[in-house]
Amino acid sequence: MSETGHWIYNTVIAGHAMSFNLDTIFTMWFAMAVVIVFALIATRKLSMVPSKLQAVCESIMQFFWGTLDTMIPNKNRQHVPLVASLFLFILTANLMGQLPLRLIHLKQGELASPTNDLNLTAAMAIIVLVYYVFMGFKAKGFKFLFHEFSFTGVIMTLVELIEMITRPLSLAIRLFANILAGEILVSVALGLFAYLLPLPVMLFEILVAFIQATVFMMLTIAYVSAATGDEH
Amino acid sequence: MIDTNTTMELAKLGGGIAIGFGAIGAGLGIGIATKGLMDAISRQPEIAGKAFGFFLLGAALSEACTLYALVVAAKLIGLM
Repeated sequence: MSETGHWIYNTVIAGHAMSFNLDTIFTMWFAMAVVIVFALIATRKLSMVPSKLQAVCESIMQFFWGTLDTMIPNKNRQHVPLVASLFLFILTANLMGQLPLRLIHLKQGELASPTNDLNLTAAMAIIVLVYYVFMGFKAKGFKFLFHEFSFTGVIMTLVELIEMITRPLSLAIRLFANILAGEILVSVALGLFAYLLPLPVMLFEILVAFIQATVFMMLTIAYVSAATGDEH
Repeated sequence: MIDTNTTMELAKLGGGIAIGFGAIGAGLGIGIATKGLMDAISRQPEIAGKAFGFFLLGAALSEACTLYALVVAAKLIGLM
């Protein structure tokens, strides 16, 4: 949401009234295109003696591998595709909202981050939910939900079921509210004193973009680790 | 006998109260996290870089609780 609100397109599909936030869709496509083009350029002409770009990408992969190694003990490299694409996409999307020059001019809701829309972050949180539940069932079978028939076991199952609702909810609202609060903060600072006052706020928002992408990734890894690990 | 206009004004008041109380929690949380960071660095100065990363992570997590209050406040004053 920007100062003018979303650019909403209402339509009827198969008898259901639906509304699409077109600004979110376009900015999301732009962020996806940036990530995909970067990945294509980076993986072309790989060599044993890395070029500068390849060295940068290898250090990014080292970051993901190191984080996974510290948090999941064994068989951790299989989670790299989900974790890496979530991190890179969220980082690109967050940073897009902080560009001083708006690159694309839309009808309404200028190029702000697509992550300032609850629909996008909720979709990503549900992807994480499906992934960790699937991984849990794959690793432990039915014991993932119900490990012993006792009073504690039943209580733990209920807690697990409640967590399946609260975890995606908190993931989605945390990212969405952080980015939205940043944009509101910039516009409030702009309204107070338009010269130089928004600048430190915008620099702070760049830091927040990195931190929120890292937090989303860390929590995803923690949930997968708790679902597939032996403890609890 | 409260008319619609008064209800809207009261909802805005409620939004202000919500974000105010929400900010207390995150302020306390980040303060305690900073205290922990200072303790850790003064005990072992060589882990400063690593501890600062975890501090930022924890600060972001506790700040998120205020932002839940912000969402409620934005809902109340009709911003969303």
